[in-house]
Amino acid sequence: MIGSRGTGPAYLKYLLILPVIFLLLFLSSSSRSGSDAAAKVRERGTLLWGGDAEGGAPYVFPDPKNVDVLIGFEVELAGAIAKVMGVPARFVQNAWDSLIPALERGDFDLVINGIEITPERTAKVLFSRPYYVYTEQLVVRREEDGIRGLADLAGKRVGTLMGAVSQTMLQQAGGVDIRIYSGVVEPYEDLALGRLDAVFLDLPIAAYYARPNPLLKYAGPPAGEGYYGIAIRREDASLKEAVDGAIDRLLRSGELRRIYEKWGLWNEAQEKLFHPDRSPGAGASGRDARDAPLVTFFPALLKGAGITVLVSVVSMGLAVALGLLLCLLRHYSGGPLRIAASSYIEIFRGTPLLIQLYLLYYGLPNVGITLSPLLAAFLGLGMNYAAYEAELYRAGIEAIPKGQMEAALSLGMSRRLALRRIVLPQALRVAVPGVTNDFISLFKDSSLVSVIAMVELTKTYNILAATTLRFLELGLVAAFLYFAMSYPLSLMARRLEERLAGRTR
Amino acid sequence: MISVRGLHKSFGKQPLFRGIDLEITKGEVVACIGPSGSGKSTFLRCINGLEPFQQGEIVVGGVELHSLNREKPGRADREAIRKVRLKVGMVFQQFNLFPHMTVLDNIIEAPTRVLRLSRNDATQRAVGLLRRVNLERKIDSHPSELSGGEQQRVAIARALAMKPEAMLFDEPTSSLDPEMVGEVLSVIQALVEEGMTTLIATHEMDFAREVADRIVVFDQGEIVEAGTPEEIFRHPKKDRTLMFLRRVLRRNALPPG
Ligand SMILES: Nc1ncnc2c1ncn2[C@@H]1O[C@H](COP(=O)(O)OP(=O)(O)OP(=O)(O)O)[C@@H](O)[C@H]1O
Ligand SMILES: [Mg+2]
Repeated sequence: MIGSRGTGPAYLKYLLILPVIFLLLFLSSSSRSGSDAAAKVRERGTLLWGGDAEGGAPYVFPDPKNVDVLIGFEVELAGAIAKVMGVPARFVQNAWDSLIPALERGDFDLVINGIEITPERTAKVLFSRPYYVYTEQLVVRREEDGIRGLADLAGKRVGTLMGAVSQTMLQQAGGVDIRIYSGVVEPYEDLALGRLDAVFLDLPIAAYYARPNPLLKYAGPPAGEGYYGIAIRREDASLKEAVDGAIDRLLRSGELRRIYEKWGLWNEAQEKLFHPDRSPGAGASGRDARDAPLVTFFPALLKGAGITVLVSVVSMGLAVALGLLLCLLRHYSGGPLRIAASSYIEIFRGTPLLIQLYLLYYGLPNVGITLSPLLAAFLGLGMNYAAYEAELYRAGIEAIPKGQMEAALSLGMSRRLALRRIVLPQALRVAVPGVTNDFISLFKDSSLVSVIAMVELTKTYNILAATTLRFLELGLVAAFLYFAMSYPLSLMARRLEERLAGRTR
Repeated sequence: MISVRGLHKSFGKQPLFRGIDLEITKGEVVACIGPSGSGKSTFLRCINGLEPFQQGEIVVGGVELHSLNREKPGRADREAIRKVRLKVGMVFQQFNLFPHMTVLDNIIEAPTRVLRLSRNDATQRAVGLLRRVNLERKIDSHPSELSGGEQQRVAIARALAMKPEAMLFDEPTSSLDPEMVGEVLSVIQALVEEGMTTLIATHEMDFAREVADRIVVFDQGEIVEAGTPEEIFRHPKKDRTLMFLRRVLRRNALPPG
């Protein structure tokens, strides 16, 4: 289990602290503004650039031949820019969908990671002059004939990247069943497995991940031209100047073209980089979303909360039942069944839930078992928590005096009957507080299923925040929704405990 | 009715019984006395199949319990143990009532589920038994609402509800406050007078003397001496018996010695 097993009141404290943390971050980042950012970089002697190397080819990713070294066209670009500025470049890893907030927080000087220049982002950060002209490419399975372009996507399951321009374009296409991912490897994986009908992502991504895959093919020509720009904090205008100058020099010296050609990314469209004044058409506006009142997002967040509840309740039901079975097998059966149950409990408790989810969803298809996201979520959480519930039941059984079983046996009851009628009912009562506590933990751990393309509350928040960049307000709303659901739960749990404690013995 | 021959029992490497023999005929009342740790409880638990033993034979009402493979009883052994348990009822020092059930449910649980009596018949039987132990009014209480003496009387009723042919009592009054000992002993006494075959481990010497046909003295896993109350209390043959009686009867009249 990854989440901590917090109780209700601890969670409450956490919620109250949240605004304070945000305030502090806000103050600390604004107090740094004003001075000459470019001079600071030179003074420090390194240019810190942020990006996401996880599934980051061909932008920035670990060299398959030597995974300690990062390669990619943006690695070379960052190096070239830093060289012009007279300092070495150093990469800072950060999840792609939170690169902008991390930049604002001051984790690095700039972001070079296929960040499309969009109005939403322009309102938040400065952009360098464009360094690449991207297009979006639709990819489908080899045998697919019905999908030739964006117009054919109505009602289809289409994967894309959270917060990317391709996501906005899909939303504007209308009627598309959009499946949002945090990485670029997984959507193509799911497409090949038939869990998606198409994937719509930036051409460099498609060129690296989809084109070599014999199961997949491009559908139609690239769509929606736009620019990648280097994101810089708003107050760091001098850094933007320095970076713009550097890009200009790399363009004119042909260095930039050399890099792109090396990665197979150069095309005629890149000529536009020399005249970047005209803003390209793509990346249409999310301005409405940025300025919309908070209430507009409630339906989406509530739907996410509904999924969270569904996933938690079903998984917990599974955990409670499977846990009981495991506990009984471990303690009252013999031979291989007993060993299997013990191993199960130890293995599931000894490995991270996140890895179990990945194995279940992306690993099992390798042996021919393809689960839907919902089923994988139920099974992943349920099977993990079953191991913990089994241990709770065991503790409950051990808390029942031996005399209970002996009295039942002396009355002629079989072991099985004595267990069912005498020992278990008492043991389960002992286990109840732990089980309700686990339910609250599971409820919060359910956010982990977002890694397998389940859009529950946390994921909904991530998506909305990544497109609108309203991390603070939406974060508070999402946290409040979690709290509003878990607090009554812990109250109920406490009431139940008190009732059970009041009765018997 | 109960016959024990050559019983050997050890806990791991620690031997306790090294060949015990005892015959109890139908209707006989036998009291086991002896110092703490001498093996009285273990002896009763062996007869009831709650403890495995290594050698010897226990026959209860014609059903034989065999020793050697008892650590991992096979089907036939399990069947024998169950038959024996249906023939003898057992009452424990700690009562061991089921705390999550009412008094009534405690009593009818086994008759309905093991003997497959209808709930009505079992309830009638339970009411009759509760009347006998004078606890009718507690029929719907939970064990936690009863005094120790009341709990032990319910436990006796619960064992009797299975209509056993013999009863085993393991120190039925040892966890009770002194003022409750009498009420439990008088229930046992009434039972004995009805002719119930009874084996009782007890520290209540007066009671043993009064109800028992035979007294068996245990010490360090051996039967030191057995005889009528008169023989044991008035004319003990063994020094160990005398020493034990001296210790427990300090304030009472001592046998001439
Ligand atoms: N489960 C066990 N494991 C190991 N040794 C045990 C176990 N149960 C009993 N013994 C040992 O066997 C011996 C006899 O115990 P038992 O309970 O039969 O004595 P007792 O005569 O009933 O004593 P008391 O009058 O205190 O009830 C003791 O030395 C005890 O330590
Ligand atoms: Mg004892």
